[in-house]
Amino acid sequence: MSDVISTEGLGMPVEVGAIDGELKKLWEADEASTNASLMNFLVYTEDPKQLIKNSETIQKLTRANSCRAVLIAMDREAKKSSLQAWITAHCHLAHGKKSICAEQISFLLSGYSMGRLRNTVFAHLNSDLPLVFWWQGDFSDLFEERLYRLLDRLIFDSASWRDPKASFRRLVEAREETKGEIVTQDLSWTRSYFYRLAVARLFDDPKAQKSFPKLEEVKIKAHPDHRMAALLLLSWVITRSGWKVESGQGDEWTASSEEGNPITINLEWDEDAAPLAELLMSAPGCKVRISREKENLHLCQSVCVDGHCVDLSGPADSDDPEGLVASQLSRGGKNSLYLHVLPRFRELLEMGG
Amino acid sequence: MSRNLAEACSVVIFGATGDLTHRKLIPALYNLAGDGELPAGVQILGFARRDWSDEFFREGLEKQNRKVSRTGHDDEIWECLAASIHYHQSEFQDEDGYRRLAERLDEIDRERGEKGNRLFYIASAPEFFDDILLNLKKAGLSQDRPDGEGCWSRVIVEKPFGTTLATAQHLNEVVNGTFQEKDTYRIDHYLGKETAQNIMVLRFANAIFEPMWNKEHIDHIQITCAEHLGMEGGRGGYYDKAGALRDMVQNHLLQLLSLVAMEPPTDLTADGVRDEKVKVIRSLRQWDTPELVAENVIRGQYLAGNINGEEVPGYCAEDRVNPESETEAYVALRCMVDTWRWSGVPFYVRMGKRLPKKATEISIHFKETPSVLFNAMPGGVPAGNVLVIRIQPDEGISLRMNSKLPGTTLRMEPVKMDFHYASSFGTSSPEAYERLLLDAMAGDATLFARRDEVEEAWRFIDNIENVWHESDNSPPMAEFPAGSWGPREADELLAKDGRTWRRL
Repeated sequence: MSDVISTEGLGMPVEVGAIDGELKKLWEADEASTNASLMNFLVYTEDPKQLIKNSETIQKLTRANSCRAVLIAMDREAKKSSLQAWITAHCHLAHGKKSICAEQISFLLSGYSMGRLRNTVFAHLNSDLPLVFWWQGDFSDLFEERLYRLLDRLIFDSASWRDPKASFRRLVEAREETKGEIVTQDLSWTRSYFYRLAVARLFDDPKAQKSFPKLEEVKIKAHPDHRMAALLLLSWVITRSGWKVESGQGDEWTASSEEGNPITINLEWDEDAAPLAELLMSAPGCKVRISREKENLHLCQSVCVDGHCVDLSGPADSDDPEGLVASQLSRGGKNSLYLHVLPRFRELLEMGG
Repeated sequence: MSRNLAEACSVVIFGATGDLTHRKLIPALYNLAGDGELPAGVQILGFARRDWSDEFFREGLEKQNRKVSRTGHDDEIWECLAASIHYHQSEFQDEDGYRRLAERLDEIDRERGEKGNRLFYIASAPEFFDDILLNLKKAGLSQDRPDGEGCWSRVIVEKPFGTTLATAQHLNEVVNGTFQEKDTYRIDHYLGKETAQNIMVLRFANAIFEPMWNKEHIDHIQITCAEHLGMEGGRGGYYDKAGALRDMVQNHLLQLLSLVAMEPPTDLTADGVRDEKVKVIRSLRQWDTPELVAENVIRGQYLAGNINGEEVPGYCAEDRVNPESETEAYVALRCMVDTWRWSGVPFYVRMGKRLPKKATEISIHFKETPSVLFNAMPGGVPAGNVLVIRIQPDEGISLRMNSKLPGTTLRMEPVKMDFHYASSFGTSSPEAYERLLLDAMAGDATLFARRDEVEEAWRFIDNIENVWHESDNSPPMAEFPAGSWGPREADELLAKDGRTWRRL
């Protein structure tokens, strides 16, 4: 790393010790704008080149999510230790009239130091507002107890992890240490939200519901970069169905239903497909299929029972992380279903899925 | 709250060459002059040991005022004020220096046609307090002048007001042997802050709060005083002898606690308010055994860390701090006020150096809603209501409540209603010292500590200090990295009650 990175677009450079004063001046200078904030939204990356992109993401997110945004990029490789800061505000017209703005503080931390990330976070929060922390990339050693104990909501994308097993272990430890206080939101899980809704919707059909205990086969086709989303969706199906995974190798598993029926499970990868391209669930005389073409904004859903087919359409999850984050923020909640699915998911992951 | 009219007087500042005079007292007098609040005829006389001239003294004050004055520096206002600033050189122990001071004050009064009101401000190092007070008495300066018509002599004493109960009692004896209690003003600049004064207004001028201000509705109260500074500027020498408990908790934080916890006073006179405050301090449950201290008080020192991206040393490696120091730079206490109103409601108080940000705040944490409706849902409601009174730096009040997220499903998130003094009223609040100096000139001691308040506070503090320093099994010193929110032990202090420190 340690290349010179562009900071244009991050706003005004400021002394770190003068941030509060400079933000105050920023607001005092513009009486036509209203500073709104419902949360502290912190985005952390260990890739400094992401800093500008993250600022652009905040610009979009703040249209519907007023916040104090704190962007932190750490260049761990840098030999010299330094801390640079910038401030800016993202403004949007509300109802075509009033300008509603969200403030953003950006930091570039150079050189590795254990407590600096944590202390930078501690020092720049808006008090009494929830702290939503978007950790980009694997959980490094900087993901430490003093830091995560403070979080209300932790957003991450397990699709971006180079070592998912290690990061999931770290996540579970963090939840245990905080006695489950942190709400965790995995964007890979969010990617399957409308798939899960569609499955529930299709099996609401009384005939399909009758076939559910007789399911024999589950197939998921996904983009190879979204292995986690596919596995999470599969884990959800298994958990909600009460199935038991008997054996597995590579991307194939054998499970048994509560009635003892065998089910074959298969994951397929396609470089040209949407993140989650297809979910197929088959029972004798019943076939449920949910699919999405690449970049299409809708899911095609069909259920065929005893030769009668119904085709439906529904929204699909966003492809880009900011869209997924926005939908997570709009839903709130404790995300307890994800936690319920997580043990089974980790089991599949450890089995080599 | 209205007050008597401030009267013209000569303000004599002992320790006039020090930081407090330059950074706080003179800028406060300057701002009062600029706002038209300073009574005409006020004369300022700096008393110190250094051999300075009037002119040299004024130049130094002007230079500093340009840097720190709340309202900026206006040459015209300064010229007017500077004409009334004088310097008097003397050792604090030199009786002759006080005799000369008396002559000079008389001369100033004659020249100006003033009747001879005197306000003595003792801002020197504490070891000189006794000498100054005794010499004032010997020079006849501490008594109302027999020939003056209704003129007065008052004394303002800066902290530390003693270092133990015994030394505070001794100092009180000396002060009361020199000045009458009604003329004694023990300054606690926190009480001069706008929001501290607003605590009473918030509680007693708003019908919605007072009915809920008790054990039935309040779960607990937190008082936090966080400093990001360490021992810069040589302050380690003083601090290492005092520690967080003596330096901040004994005075400022217990004063804030008493304002939050007191019963409504019968009236707004100085003694009406102070009678109620002292009852609170007297009702503090005493932590006087090693077991009770271990259970309710955490002390700590910071280790090396970083603040604002800068590496900072650990407490014991700070300038003028004993490398083997056993002085706390952080303290967290669980206080219990044993009154009918507060029975069973803990007051968690914490103060620390080298914490992530500078802030002094009081937060009132209300009880959760009953376990029906929303609270009966999985996960309950996100958080209880919290009323926050920000004392500094951004004075104001906020209230946290829960709100439904827009959408078709029922999801809740906390939101905050926020009131900032600076932006709401458009003018900056007066500095605490402005208000307090004016009150002393007006003879209003409401915002100053009374003898019994000081001594009761020391009684509470002494019990803890004695366990720390004189007990064989004193609780250990906790540690935390500089820039973090204090030691884990302090988190555990609340965790064992099922609570957490509020995130600032």
